[in-house]
Amino acid sequence: MARFIGRRLLLSLVTLWLLATIVFIIANVLPNDVGRTILGPFAPQESVDALNEKLGTNRPILVRYVDQIRGVFTFDYGDSFVNGRPVLPQLADAIGRSAKLAGLALIITIPVAIMAGLYAARRRDRPVDRAIVLLGVTSSSIPEFVTGTILVVVVGVQLKLLPVLATPPRNADILTQFRFLLLPALSMAIVYFGYIARMTRAGTIEVLQADYTRTAAMKGLTTAQTMRRHVLRNALIPTVAVIAVQIGYLFGGIIAVEKIFNYNGMGQTMLSAAQRKDIPMLTAGVIIIGVVYMVATLIADLTIAWMNPRIRLDAER
Amino acid sequence: MDYSELDKVRRSTTPLQLDTVEAFARGRLSRREFIKRGAIVGLSMSSVAAVIAACGGNPASGAPASAGAGTSGAPASAGESAGASAAGKTGGTIRVAIQKPVKIDPVAMQDLGGYGIVSQSFEFLCTLTPKNLVDIGPGLATKWTPNADGTVWTFDLRQGVKWQDGTPFTSADVVATMERLVKAGNSGLKGVLGPGGAVATDPNTVTFTLLGANGNFPYLVSVFNAQTVITPAAYVAGTTLDKQPAGTGAWKLTNYNPQTGATFARNDDWWGGKTPLDGLEFTFFDASGPMVTAYQGDSVDAIIQFDVLSGKTLLDDPNFNLIAQPSSLHRQIWMKTDQGQFAKKEVRQALAYTFDRPALIQQLFQGKSDLGNDHVIAPIYPYFDPSVPQRVQDIEKAKSLLSTAGVSNLTATLHAGQLQEIPDLAVLLKSQAAQAGITLNVAVESLDTFYGAQWCPVDGCAGAAELGIVDYGHRGTPDVYLNAALKSKGIWNSSQYSSAAFDQAFTDFQTAVGVDAQKAACNKIETILNEDVPIGLPYFYNYLAGSSKKFNGMYASGLGQAFFSSTSQV
Repeated sequence: MARFIGRRLLLSLVTLWLLATIVFIIANVLPNDVGRTILGPFAPQESVDALNEKLGTNRPILVRYVDQIRGVFTFDYGDSFVNGRPVLPQLADAIGRSAKLAGLALIITIPVAIMAGLYAARRRDRPVDRAIVLLGVTSSSIPEFVTGTILVVVVGVQLKLLPVLATPPRNADILTQFRFLLLPALSMAIVYFGYIARMTRAGTIEVLQADYTRTAAMKGLTTAQTMRRHVLRNALIPTVAVIAVQIGYLFGGIIAVEKIFNYNGMGQTMLSAAQRKDIPMLTAGVIIIGVVYMVATLIADLTIAWMNPRIRLDAER
Repeated sequence: MDYSELDKVRRSTTPLQLDTVEAFARGRLSRREFIKRGAIVGLSMSSVAAVIAACGGNPASGAPASAGAGTSGAPASAGESAGASAAGKTGGTIRVAIQKPVKIDPVAMQDLGGYGIVSQSFEFLCTLTPKNLVDIGPGLATKWTPNADGTVWTFDLRQGVKWQDGTPFTSADVVATMERLVKAGNSGLKGVLGPGGAVATDPNTVTFTLLGANGNFPYLVSVFNAQTVITPAAYVAGTTLDKQPAGTGAWKLTNYNPQTGATFARNDDWWGGKTPLDGLEFTFFDASGPMVTAYQGDSVDAIIQFDVLSGKTLLDDPNFNLIAQPSSLHRQIWMKTDQGQFAKKEVRQALAYTFDRPALIQQLFQGKSDLGNDHVIAPIYPYFDPSVPQRVQDIEKAKSLLSTAGVSNLTATLHAGQLQEIPDLAVLLKSQAAQAGITLNVAVESLDTFYGAQWCPVDGCAGAAELGIVDYGHRGTPDVYLNAALKSKGIWNSSQYSSAAFDQAFTDFQTAVGVDAQKAACNKIETILNEDVPIGLPYFYNYLAGSSKKFNGMYASGLGQAFFSSTSQV
């Protein structure tokens, strides 16, 4: 297992380098003028030139590339081109906010969706199964910005039950934070419920039809014992993989939801950095999201290996 | 006319002030214009009132409270009227939606969000007052007086003012601030004030010796030149408000998060007295729409600027105190004058005659705009001359002009950036132009593409498209519009307009210090631009802000700043 983890970490370094290179190419090869973008169309050309000089964006492209790659591996991402503040503390704030929102969305979604998937699988083709499948397909086909807008208008503006902004006041207690994050988390949970529930249902149906499940039942295990010992471990493997990818996606920020609820998570921060050609912010943000993806998939792989000894043995080989 | 009273004022004024008094006494300035102009040239409130009374007017109805300096000690300023004017309860916090600031460095900030945050703690020599939101009044300066030709201005500073760290505010702070701004090339002071131009005559007086005559100088050290907030002498350029939160203003910064918001607490030592509210809580937004939603969802109490398209519901909301501030915000429809289909003046005039301006204002702004007349002298300026005939839609005349120019089946691409109402404006112009047989193909582009490829490409405005719509922000004086967008070889001259007569009129305006000279120069500018039509300018739209009716006393400039020193809960 240690070898498996070591190999994955080594691969992560290569992935980071690739990520940094891709961001650099996108940010530098496309035609742009960082100084002009930051200062705006009305700034005199001298000011734009002076800013480019100050930021070093007029240096040879190779020099900038080496600088950027060095920064990625030494965690020195520099200062934001736009506001002159160090990039990492700003991104740490943003990832913290995204983590809270994604965490709440996952806490709401995962148990409900898994339970629904299991329930539907055990009642395959009955009305309740069809209802859950239909609900899952419907909820996952409505984009987050639609559900978010509906929730804002109905729950926030009309009924005034919950705040329409996701950012709680400073030093708010955990309950207040929960209240502020509930609507955006719900709008995300509604979409991901469908994915996870359907994945769980499909995995469970497949395992329920497997020979070893029948054998377990025939040797006298109760349904609960069969489910716990034989079905769940195998049925949830694809679900865990899906959740791992969703974690990375959610941490990366759902820009539409963040915009609707005026929440400054990773999505808005990255969008703003891209629009303003804030290359240090963009690079660091992409790297951080990449790291989150890698950690999430690593945890998922380890979880899957723990759940299924055959995979564990393959990994060790 | 009471000549004895008038003579008393005449004897106590400088030549520039006298010029203003005479212009009013002889009927060349309306009372409103006199109050505005009086504020700029530093006429005291009592002098303004005396002149109005001597000329047979009612000083009380002239709202002179904000005009000029408080030599009589009357409460003319924002601060002095703060506590007294608040009719509501004391205590509480107002939650304010504001555009996310890019920078809160007082010297280098360039965005409305930054202006709005910085102006809570730092103050101006001349500022707005709660009773009059168009004209400047006393801020950290209580009085300003020009010499005879407007080349030297003397500012008397407010006494007893302290920085929030307890040190006294003196003229050395003003001089140091001005030096920093001059060194940074502040766009308003460039060419007006040079290094060493501001001198501390004594701890409470600063004398500005200008590079040339300037009758509008107080505007350039006012709320309308947002970077001229006065910072302490020891302030290092590049320092941001959150790193050194020590202004003279009514509010102390208590927390700042560049991504989410800022909070302020009352400055108990403020020279203006105790503010009714305990504090301010700003939430940052990237767009106007979510601000309006947040207000509707009761998550904020006030909004500092929103656009009509996203805030239509607020315009008629009986629970919303709407601030519709007349401003010089406008759109310019540039037409290339040096080559192409619009090189002939008649063609440009023809397009301008197709504009149905009242309809545009109604459809795009629900009436919250002033009519434009294809020149940049907005009605809010004290030297605006309304005598130039207003251009109105005249389709037959447009057809006739096209015929005179020998043009038929005119077809052009109208470039527009994806910003606020501009795409809708482009579509409306297209339909109006079609009535005269002009075919406009609307091309709406992202702002990056629009500015970089159509308006003024990097290699110069000579490469601009032949027709397009560009946005201009609010300015306290029209110098930037005239200098950059219309003067020959101006850096934003996308129409490539070049007129010796216009250039001369602009020079006349810049050097004019008296009322008559400024109005005469503006009349020339308006006439020339209206005739040559290098740009179509259909409207000057209102700056929109406001608060819930649970609060009163909020007021705003057209430049991102909102003032809460007299705000209270109802």
